[in-house]
Amino acid sequence: MSDLFDQLFEEDDEPQPEPAAPAPVRRVLTVTDLTIKIRDLLETELFEVWVEGELSNCRVWNTGHLYFTLKDDRSQLRGFMFKTALRYLKFKPTDGTRVVARGKISVYEPKGEYQLVCEHLEPQGLGALQLAFEQLKKRLQQEGLFDPARKRALPALPRKIGIVTSLDGAAIRDIIKVLRRRYTNAHLIICPARVQGEDAASDIARALRQIARVPGVDVVIVGRGGGSMEDLWAFNEEMVARAIGRVPVPVISAVGHETDVTIADFVADVRAPTPSAAAELVVSRKDEFCGRIDRLRDRLHASARSRIQGLSRRVHIIGARPALAGFPGRIAMRGRHVAELSHALARVFRAGLGVNARRLQQLERQLAGLDVSRQLATMRTRLVAADGRLTSAATRRQDRAAGQLRAVAGRLDVLSPLAVLGRGYAVAWNADKTRVLRDATGVAPDDHIRVTLSRGEIEAKVTKTS
Amino acid sequence: MSDTSTKDFEAAIAELESIVKKLEEGDIALEQSLALYERGVQLSRFCHARLEEAERRIEILNERGELKPAPSSFAADDSRRG
Repeated sequence: MSDLFDQLFEEDDEPQPEPAAPAPVRRVLTVTDLTIKIRDLLETELFEVWVEGELSNCRVWNTGHLYFTLKDDRSQLRGFMFKTALRYLKFKPTDGTRVVARGKISVYEPKGEYQLVCEHLEPQGLGALQLAFEQLKKRLQQEGLFDPARKRALPALPRKIGIVTSLDGAAIRDIIKVLRRRYTNAHLIICPARVQGEDAASDIARALRQIARVPGVDVVIVGRGGGSMEDLWAFNEEMVARAIGRVPVPVISAVGHETDVTIADFVADVRAPTPSAAAELVVSRKDEFCGRIDRLRDRLHASARSRIQGLSRRVHIIGARPALAGFPGRIAMRGRHVAELSHALARVFRAGLGVNARRLQQLERQLAGLDVSRQLATMRTRLVAADGRLTSAATRRQDRAAGQLRAVAGRLDVLSPLAVLGRGYAVAWNADKTRVLRDATGVAPDDHIRVTLSRGEIEAKVTKTS
Repeated sequence: MSDTSTKDFEAAIAELESIVKKLEEGDIALEQSLALYERGVQLSRFCHARLEEAERRIEILNERGELKPAPSSFAADDSRRG
């Protein structure tokens, strides 16, 4: 500022003022003309600029455009970003963020103000890291390092729990606290590593390699407590990711807080949101097994108990029978046999009961569906009718038979020898009427004979044969 | 070594489960069920023993690959506070 004033005075001083000289031609511009001149100058000269500063007064208007002020410790610059450009930002611009902005200077004529029309914003420092993160993530993913098929289940019984973290951090305290509280017999092997700073990544990788070589370590927790993104950065480095991938036992990553996601989390077999949660994970497996075994043992005892009670009851009953009273030695044998039989019976019964009960119900339903009394009445009517028909048919048959009989009897009459006698013939028999006389030589004089006439009989004496 | 013992443990739980199931279904002879019961008790003892087997110890693995017990101040206090 002072330079400017100095300059003015110098200019005034050197070319001596000549009051008599004619006034220079005044070229008067309108405000608009001047503004346009300024605009042209600025927009040509500052067509593309990169400027760094701190964001403040960030505001997204209804139109979706972002208005902000970029400032450093001495100056301020108004800025504006179109909705279309805003869409491509990977982060949300917030007050206080140090950024690098790219854009052009433009003049807003109605207000005579200039501003930065921003085309791109990137958070300072973070941008490069973010990019590295995305690139590494993509690369390792393509290599299959995050493949779900690679994930191993945590061991049922961690014998030795390997821990890679800093001895000074909160993580180790949190882990021990949880394990102490829940898993009294944990055997921890801590391999200390620097978890932030320049050489943190290589140190963590070294510790992971070392702990993998300790016999008996069957799960490894690697992590650290919360911190800034830069603090946690080691867990986003390729060296650490590959070291995790090479640990031969399941690895739990436990970096920072719930919201911090690192490359290490993607490679690890299990991601725990915090170091405490990692410890809980290891412990809950044991609790789970403890509970399972306890429940199994209870069931084992209960089933044995009920079996024994049932058997002893049966043996007692059998033993009480007089027939067996004298054979205590055989009671047990019998008891066992009976137990088996009745058990088999019960089983068959149980199995059959279900089926039978269903069948019975079905039959009952079918029965209920029938109107039994009506059916009975119908049947009775039909029976009576049938009976009547049967009777009359029998009568008819009898009548017909009687007629036939009479006719036959008539014909018999005609053929009867008695009928011949009626015409005047007679039959001669021997004396005791056992033989019909057909030949005169069959009798001699003085023999008695009988003669049957149409009506009556004659006893006669032979006087002569010829 | 720990790998096989873990497998033993898981196999033991599986066997215990099948034994309990068999006993609960109940259609086995008394002698066999007694044998199964005995085996079941054995297995549950074995599993519990395995669960409690791990030592209560904290060791530090230094950069030379040596295991040293952790300083007692390091963890002991936390167990009481926690």
